[in-house]
Amino acid sequence: MAEAAGAQGAAITRRGVPIPLLVLLAAIIAVAAGPYVLDTYSVNVLVRSLFYAAVALTVDLLWGYLGILTFGQSAFFGIGAYAVGLISTHVGFTPGLAALSLLAGIAASMLVAGIVGWLAFFYGASALYASVISLVLPIVVVQLLFAGGNFTGSSSGLSGFDSFDDVSVETWFWIAGAFLIVVAGCAWRFVASDAGRVLIAVRENEQRCQYLGLDTPRLKIIAFVATAAICAAAGYGFACYTTVVSPEQAGFVFGTELVIWVALGGRGTILGPVLGAVLIDYESAQLSGDYPFVWQLIIGSVFVAVIVLFPRGLLPLIGDALRYIGPKVRPAVPPELVELPMHVVAGTTGPALAIHGVAKHFGSLKVLDGIDVSAAAGELVSLVGPNGAGKTTLIRCIADGSERSAGRVAINGHEIGGMSPDRCVRLGVGRKFQMANVFDTLTVAECLQMARIRHGFPSVLRRASRIGLPRPALHVIRTTGLDHALMTPARLLSHGMKQALELAMVLALEPSVLLLDEPTAGLTKAERTLIGGILVDLAATERLCIVLVEHDLDFVREISSRVIVLHQGRIVLDGSVDDVVNSDLVKQVYAGGGHGVGAAA
Amino acid sequence: MSIRKLLLGACLMGAGLLPTASQAADAITIGIPVGLSGANSVVAPSVVQAAQLAVDEINAAGGVLGRKLALEVSDDASGAAGAQRAFDSLIFQKKVNSLISMETSAARNAGLPIVTRGKTPFIYTSYYEGRSCNRYMYVDAWVPDQQVGPMVDFFMKSKGSKTFFLVGSDYAFGRGMLEFTRAYIEKHGGKVVGEEYAPMDATDWTAIISKIRSSNPDALMMSTAGGVPNVTLTKQLRAAGIKALYGNLGLDEGTAKSMGADAEGTYLSGSYYTSIDSPANKKFLAAMQQKFGADLKTPNDLSVPEYEAVYLYAAAVKKAGSVDSDKVIPALATVSFDGPRGTIRMDKQRHAPLTMYLGQVTADGSVTLMSSFKDVDPGAQCPALK
Amino acid sequence: MISQLLDIVTSAAILYAIAVGLLLVFGVLKIINFAHGGLMTLGGYAALVTTQFGLNPWLAIPAAALVGAVVGMVIERVVVRPLYVRPLDAILATWGLGIIIGQLITIGFGRGVQFVQSPLSGTLEILGEGYSQYRLVLVLIAAALGLALSLLLHGTRLGLDTRAVIMNEDLARGLGINSTLVRFITFAIGSGLAAVAGALITPLSSVDPNMGVPWLVNAFMLVLVSGASLVSLLVACLVLGGAQVLISSLVSPVLGGITIAVLAAIILRVRPAGFARG
Repeated sequence: MAEAAGAQGAAITRRGVPIPLLVLLAAIIAVAAGPYVLDTYSVNVLVRSLFYAAVALTVDLLWGYLGILTFGQSAFFGIGAYAVGLISTHVGFTPGLAALSLLAGIAASMLVAGIVGWLAFFYGASALYASVISLVLPIVVVQLLFAGGNFTGSSSGLSGFDSFDDVSVETWFWIAGAFLIVVAGCAWRFVASDAGRVLIAVRENEQRCQYLGLDTPRLKIIAFVATAAICAAAGYGFACYTTVVSPEQAGFVFGTELVIWVALGGRGTILGPVLGAVLIDYESAQLSGDYPFVWQLIIGSVFVAVIVLFPRGLLPLIGDALRYIGPKVRPAVPPELVELPMHVVAGTTGPALAIHGVAKHFGSLKVLDGIDVSAAAGELVSLVGPNGAGKTTLIRCIADGSERSAGRVAINGHEIGGMSPDRCVRLGVGRKFQMANVFDTLTVAECLQMARIRHGFPSVLRRASRIGLPRPALHVIRTTGLDHALMTPARLLSHGMKQALELAMVLALEPSVLLLDEPTAGLTKAERTLIGGILVDLAATERLCIVLVEHDLDFVREISSRVIVLHQGRIVLDGSVDDVVNSDLVKQVYAGGGHGVGAAA
Repeated sequence: MSIRKLLLGACLMGAGLLPTASQAADAITIGIPVGLSGANSVVAPSVVQAAQLAVDEINAAGGVLGRKLALEVSDDASGAAGAQRAFDSLIFQKKVNSLISMETSAARNAGLPIVTRGKTPFIYTSYYEGRSCNRYMYVDAWVPDQQVGPMVDFFMKSKGSKTFFLVGSDYAFGRGMLEFTRAYIEKHGGKVVGEEYAPMDATDWTAIISKIRSSNPDALMMSTAGGVPNVTLTKQLRAAGIKALYGNLGLDEGTAKSMGADAEGTYLSGSYYTSIDSPANKKFLAAMQQKFGADLKTPNDLSVPEYEAVYLYAAAVKKAGSVDSDKVIPALATVSFDGPRGTIRMDKQRHAPLTMYLGQVTADGSVTLMSSFKDVDPGAQCPALK
Repeated sequence: MISQLLDIVTSAAILYAIAVGLLLVFGVLKIINFAHGGLMTLGGYAALVTTQFGLNPWLAIPAAALVGAVVGMVIERVVVRPLYVRPLDAILATWGLGIIIGQLITIGFGRGVQFVQSPLSGTLEILGEGYSQYRLVLVLIAAALGLALSLLLHGTRLGLDTRAVIMNEDLARGLGINSTLVRFITFAIGSGLAAVAGALITPLSSVDPNMGVPWLVNAFMLVLVSGASLVSLLVACLVLGGAQVLISSLVSPVLGGITIAVLAAIILRVRPAGFARG
């Protein structure tokens, strides 16, 4: 499904006109001509379908691109509709009030989205949880509308209120069509932009995003609030056109219908949900009248089949077929890599990393206990110890404020407290995971761009033609040859290249404390030497404080300025390479640890 | 046409999307938007059958103005969105001459703006919470003003009830009915000791039953949504051993029958019961039985008004001499029909005075009629429409 | 006062019976089974058919369990298993299955409300107050279900494997546990329990094609707030079910109807582990 999103915007016809532009042109013509060639009935039905399609598009942005499966967009549609329904019924309808109710609807739905977003998206919340919350939202909204008695019209809703009565159905068709084209056009522009990549990156690997300094819950809340505004505007248009508002419009059945349209049309595409919404809604108007129960059964069955068999939906299938017979995609031009001037960090006098009394326990099991470490800029500290000694746990406690059970951690003199990883990154922490942790469906260039996101949110309109990177990151890329693979999707890279890419991404953060969890695991001897050299160089010339978990004691001996031995959650030795090599204690630890030495060899 | 086809095809991809040809051109078509699926799907088939019988009888007698009547049925899924589709399809695609149907209030409200746009006469045949007014709409079923009085009067005068507890589903009908009921009880010297609403899909009435138990009223007045809430509340009341008189404003004969012993003793009130002892009703029931045989859905307080409304529409067209809206609309207020429920004439602000009955459910689920109240006035429903 | 206490205990018991199957599936498969409502409905209709055959109404419970478990097996094999690596798609697919079950029941039995003979009716005197016997018996049944599941989880080999999968599936697989089988059996048991819950509520509720739906969201929230523990589910049912009863009777049933969902969401926001320890 991700390829569908990735391929968008790159498709170009032989003559060089982007396909989406052609689609846009066709859509404009279709909307303009619609009322002249369609009968009143079709125009009528399509006005509603077009508004629905805009809402479906927001479901797609959240679900197909950002990975938030939401059943609750109907609630915002309903809020937008009720804003005008309530104001027109109880106050009146003048041009001023019409504008006011549009703004009120948008504001109210954004407020609700903000509250729900706060409930649904926080560091550590699961995607499943957010989905269930999104299901609760329309149920609560409908319950409140029912409870509103005469004010909201309860189950009957409000009907026949004053609206733009002299606007003809044909004009409404143009309004709804134009609204959809604007929403779809903006959405297309957005998802094809650098900022659009960010959504996909969050969907693909939220953890990596957080460790690149991106506050993903906040991003999700912003996206949720923004789409709520679009839904409210659609609801407003819908209510003004039909002069009916009813609880059904805000209900979860409509919310799930939207998901069906998107799933069948093609999530992660712009055109798919639009076609899905318009076609299925139009078709329902015909078929559900004739075969009410069977129609539902068919929709349900097709839906399950598509989810299981064609998760990308139906449009991408057609797209694949067209691409097979049609014009080939022209390879896009890779962005240029540019070296950025280094930030000169104001000389902090204290240690780069200060750990005091850190402990971590699961119930009665103590994984870490009483850890005190202090490391200065320019030091290259290796953490060694047998499996289960707590090395990775310690790394985690430095990079995520919510991990440790007790103690204090300070980066460049700043306490991390209970900070989430993205805020730790802002203090100067960079963490490379044990398993190469990159964005599989993004290209190398896009992965690198993601790593620069905390230095400036990318454009929501265009793709950057150059990527500025700090010298150490560039160095890694050039020495490993990644600069010749900028347009390669990361999942196609070799294991070693992925490791190098992740290291480059972490270095692009310009960290002052670099945490590396077995950076050489699974690498060839040559690659290991290369990485070792880079690390030594980083510590020496860039004055980075590097903490590294390593099993390969030879490697440790070659590069470390200092070694810390962990055993059963405690520091048993903290000294120079020689101290450790000559320590009987360490030999005992490894012997007692069983396979530790073997693994290291 | 070919360009249109092409464009439709291009935009909509699919043969099924093209509008189907409507009924034979010379027939007068009546659209029935009704809840074949959703909440009304239990009662909808009986409504369609009643309409079919009326149309057949009228056609057998030579039709109207020399033209036959024809029906177009469309599912509104018992809700607003479905109703918009159904009304659009009937008015603009099938181009029906009129609409005659029972629907949920949400569906009716959703359809009314489309009726206005299409300037199509619409006879609404469902009892409802009252005061829904539209230039093109008439109603031949009861409103609270007609139904509540007989039951409350009976409880107060014949049973000596003084304290009432009101329970409703939280929807327009539930609230509308009980709002009127409370006012009526208080006006006549009774006391409302509790008024509670549960969500429309509520299946758990625990808290409300506790309140009923502690306030110990003489009589309960219920206005719960048809079907599920009716059933769950009744069952749970019985299980809890509540002994108060029990009047249900939303219970129909059919549901009472299927509930059997659980519903025993429940009082209900309405304008039609199968046991109404009149020649017109007997003739109607016999004709229904003959036409539908084993497939017959028991006629009820929602299907009989449909039957009568078809006759009223036919009479209005005849009187107007045309199907033209501007002529049929005023004519509808002047015609009358002697049907199973008596003589129906929609001359009170688009509503009809009706003969109302008070009944009680017996142990086998059938309804015994206790008394009738002739031509109960609907009150001021739509003063603005005269 | 005493009746309010009984209301809380019996409401919690009903919620527990409804949510326990969902909890099991959530613990092992890490998905919320959106078909849970459909499976409950299936159980209700199993009870209907049982009593229509003139069998003892209590037999409805094993009958529902059987129907639910068999349907659950089919669902797991055909729909859920292929979606193992796509949990969000799995919940969507189970939701679609809920629609399919509802429509098939509608086509088979009609849209109307059906009536099932209650195995027990009437009231019992408790401290001078008459209280519904069936609700009281439900407390015993819910307790029995909880105990039986605890015994299964803590007293059998399958239970040990299941607990291992709940804690850490990768590790469990590394230890040679057939996690695919564990998932399969768990889903079947969870579905069976859903159907049993459907049969259990028939004397209180109506039997119609959508009967499971109104319970669904509350069950979801109770499970999310309990993690994967039978004990925390009990606590959650008592606390949130109690809150629902109190708010319904003291404030309004309409607010009571959304109490569980809203409270659970707030609890999870403040304390992501919910009622689970840790």
